[in-house]
Formats: sequence, C-alpha cells, structure tokens
Amino acid sequence: MTIEHPTQSSSIVDVLETVLDKGVVIAGDIRVGLADVELLTIKIRLIVASVDKAKEIGMDWWETDPYLNSKAAEQNTKQLEDENKELQKRIEQLEKNANAGQSNRFV
Amino acid sequence: MSLYVYLYGVIPTPEDGDNPFSSHKGIDNEHELQMKNYGDISAVFCHVEEEEYGEEVLQEKTNQMDWVQEKAFHHHEILMNIRERTALIPMKFCTIYQSEANLDDMVHNHQDQMKALIERLDGKEEWNLKVYCDRDQLSKNVADHNLNIKEKKDEIAQMSKGRQYLESRKLDQYVQQEVEREQDAFGSALHEQLTAYSVEDTVKKNWNRDVTGKDEEMCWNSAYLVPLERVEDFLEIITNENEKHKSSGWILEATGPWPAYHFAKLT
Repeated sequence: MTIEHPTQSSSIVDVLETVLDKGVVIAGDIRVGLADVELLTIKIRLIVASVDKAKEIGMDWWETDPYLNSKAAEQNTKQLEDENKELQKRIEQLEKNANAGQSNRFV
Repeated sequence: MSLYVYLYGVIPTPEDGDNPFSSHKGIDNEHELQMKNYGDISAVFCHVEEEEYGEEVLQEKTNQMDWVQEKAFHHHEILMNIRERTALIPMKFCTIYQSEANLDDMVHNHQDQMKALIERLDGKEEWNLKVYCDRDQLSKNVADHNLNIKEKKDEIAQMSKGRQYLESRKLDQYVQQEVEREQDAFGSALHEQLTAYSVEDTVKKNWNRDVTGKDEEMCWNSAYLVPLERVEDFLEIITNENEKHKSSGWILEATGPWPAYHFAKLT
C-alpha cells in the first residue's frame, strides 16, 4: 500500500484529474475552455512518460523506433488472423448444420 | 495593458494579518502571491498580465500540453502549501478576474457562504482512494471459485464442437460479468467501511489504462473528507485491507492529504 504525497511526480494522474476537474467553480471573468480532462491527462502522461524514458536512455526513440511500431502492427495482424480463423470455423460449422437441415432452407 | 487577477483560493484571515505567502512567485513566475483581507476571510491571488492571461491567449495556451502541465502543477503546489498552514477553499485551475474590483465583488457576493464552507472544512483532510485489480488474476479466481461456471464448463465439454464454441463464448461473457460484479462489490464494501470515518465522500469515475498508464485495471475511485483525529484509523483500514487482498490481485492506493478539491462547493 502506498500513501503518497500528492505532489510526487508518480501521481501525475491524480493531480491532473483533480486540479483540472475539481475545485470551487465560481465563474471568473475569463472563460477558459479546457479540453476534456481525460484526453488532457492521457496526452500529458504520454509526454511525461516519454520524456522520462528518453532521459533514462538518452535518446528520443519513442517517436521513430521501427521495432516498437512493427511490433504493434505484428500483434494486430496476429489478432486479426486468429479472429479470422475462428470465424472460418464458425461458418463451416453453420454450413454443416444448414446442410443437415435442408428442409428448413428458404434459399 | 492592465493587470488581471489569478485567484488560488480563499482562507480564514490569519490572526497577525501578515501575508505568509509573499515569498512565492505566482503562476506567471513573476508577480508575487498576495493576500487580500475581507474581514474574516482572505483571498490568495497573484496579478497576471492581460496579454498573457486574456481569454484568447489562454484558449491557445490550454492546448499546449507542457503549459497545462506546468501551470496545473504550480496551481496545485501553491494550494498544497496553503493547505499545510490553514483551512482553504481551493479554486478551480485558471479562475481569473479582470480587476481587483471584480474579485472584491465576487467575494462580497459569496462572503457568508465562504465563511461557512471554511468552517466546515477546518480540521479535516481530503484523502483519495483508488483500487486497481489484476483482471486476469481476478477472472481466473472467479472461474475457479464460481460453482455455476465450473458446472457449465463440464457441461460444455460434453457438447458438439459447434455448440462448444458458442457456449464457451457465452460462458466467457458470463465470467467477465461476474468479474465486474466482483470489482464493484469489492469497492463498495471497502467504501462502506471508510465512510464510517469520513464526514463526506464521493465516488468518481474509473479511468481506463490509457489515462492511468498502469497494467492493472482501475475498479474504484473515490474521495473522502476525514476529520483529522480519524485519519489514522481511516488509513489503517486501507493498509489492512490491502495486505489482506494483495495476493488476490487487488491494489489499494490512498493519496493525501489533498486540498479539499472534491468537497469545496459553493452554489
């Protein structure tokens, strides 16, 4: 269990979630149209994460690394292939069932 | 160009009347923090330049993530600092007035309400709780321990291939429903224990992984206003529950004390 002081950088999500979204709302004179807090938090977290990581290894790999990109693509393809196989199986099975019950066909 | 007023919060007027925050720079990194006395309550603010904090400029700046991040953290740091010394009504990020006269009007219009709110918040701390869970582990636990699911699995094993596929899909869906129920039940039960120690509470939205950046799934998100003398007991519950359920894939995270962001409301 962690009891964190909320200013630690690890709780960036907590800070943004509350600071950007909560607190007393009394209309000031200036209308500030903040984007969706969820979206803002994601964007900022990604920036912080990549900056931290970049500092750690001393380069800006996150934008250009072809390995990471291709790996993501690979995963995607595999998922699609699997889904495709599953669907094929289902169709075959359905066709078999349909052939078995010829009298009920409306085609 | 005129000076605008960036308002951080409202506090009870310090007894000695001095501004304890004058050593801090304001949100523009230039103007110092000021305190303005309105009798029992005081406003903590800083001046900002119109050309930097006018409506159109701000519209642009709030689209720059590094600006939002820096300024939101500044806002929070200042409020944390104030909170350590005194009760506080925290304002929302970027509450700005075009002149001190406008600030005066706002405070005068809300003076009684603000005074009452400060009294209500005094001697209490805001604590936030987030519960995360390892969904795979929880799914496995549910599948292993739910008798309905076990029975159904045995049944499916006896079926034809085609039906097996469909029924397995249905069962998977059922398992996921049970997992969600389990998550909700876990959070609710914990929440109920905690509200015994708090005077106010609020249950918030669960953020998805894109937001949290964690592997585990957030399944409870709440905030509590806890009287100082009960904070220790309140946190002990969380520590104990965390120990007890760690091995089943639950992670309890308490953060605080926060400025009372969730409980400072004015109408």
